[in-house]
Amino acid sequence: MTVDDTQLVALIDDELDEEAKGRLLAQLAVDEGLRQRYEALREAGAHISTSFDALLGMAPLPQLTAALWSEAVARPASPVRPRIARRDLAAGFALGLLVAGAAAWIALSLARPANDWRSAVAEYTDLYTNETFSPLKPDSSLEALELAAVGARVGAKLTPENVALPGLRFTVAFMLAFDGWPLGAIAFVDPNGSPVLLCIIANGGTDSSLRLEKRDGLPLATWSRDGRGYLVIGRQPEQRIAEFARLLEQRI
Amino acid sequence: MSEASRHELRQGLEPCLGRLWRYALVLSGANDTAESLVQATCRRAVERADQFPASARLDRWLFSTLRSIWLDEIRPRRIREAKAFVDAEGAVSSDGAFEFGANILATQVLKSIARLPEAQRETALLVYGEGYSYAEAASALSIPIDAVTSRLAAARSALAKLK
Repeated sequence: MTVDDTQLVALIDDELDEEAKGRLLAQLAVDEGLRQRYEALREAGAHISTSFDALLGMAPLPQLTAALWSEAVARPASPVRPRIARRDLAAGFALGLLVAGAAAWIALSLARPANDWRSAVAEYTDLYTNETFSPLKPDSSLEALELAAVGARVGAKLTPENVALPGLRFTVAFMLAFDGWPLGAIAFVDPNGSPVLLCIIANGGTDSSLRLEKRDGLPLATWSRDGRGYLVIGRQPEQRIAEFARLLEQRI
Repeated sequence: MSEASRHELRQGLEPCLGRLWRYALVLSGANDTAESLVQATCRRAVERADQFPASARLDRWLFSTLRSIWLDEIRPRRIREAKAFVDAEGAVSSDGAFEFGANILATQVLKSIARLPEAQRETALLVYGEGYSYAEAASALSIPIDAVTSRLAAARSALAKLK
């Protein structure tokens, strides 16, 4: 059976019926090329969601709120006369304006140089909200598949059992890269939707023992073993992050 | 309609303003128009507060109202005034003037979303930004579910090529 992108996307979005899903998962298990397409499409969707979240931070809420409570909104209807500035028409076409604003905002939040992968992860984690991952509710077969795929890329054996963390729910595992090194990310959420990330980078680093620190106000725990760096980060009390890290260090 | 019910509707509307603006921006692609569109949506919602179905979700009703105003009033005028600013399936093009560092992934993603056809941008926003199911998106957009799937697949494919 030839699998097209619409089927893969429907699987990613959990919109397939059980039979179709089972069939596709079975194909994914044996078809590396299909898995790569699946992974590329899944990752693209995660970036879309994150970018839309970033846009919310751009909303001109003071103006919109003021307009909502102004007399204009309470007045009887008048024809809609949008303020379309000429410059919009000439230069505009544009999500350009929006992109400028959003990019500036994102650039600002990423302004500090990410001089190592831990800082890069901390900066990105800072952008995630309680809504970023919480809508994702994969079943156990998809979780196992995603973990196996990410594990294969970073050379670690990852299973639903050995990454399970108390009080957290798995949402998604996906691949990033830092300086060309494969960087796997496994995102969990607590009951409030607050994200906790386990990241694994296969960068050939030397072994180091578990260490706790704070970056961007977020507690993170790091350790390295067998050429892989591990990091656990999230908006949680430090001792909780440390507890997660100790569990993962023993199991993976 | 009483002043009290208008007041109540505005109170319900206020937490939705940011999301309405994002939807308006994704549709129109311009800040000024997005603000105007949200204001027009607020105005109409307050006027028609008594038509809001008690069983419905306010945010979905507002989205539907915003979409109607966009399609029926603002978009046709923009097309006339801008000589096909955006055609039915046309893409809004960013002019490439905004380069804030090619390695900032979110910037690239936003630029790529900006280049998608309006139908794909809108569908992606509803499903991936707003959490609509495919069936809910199909109903909101008055299209078959298959069309939702193919728009999302096209959007994801376009974004996947970024890598």
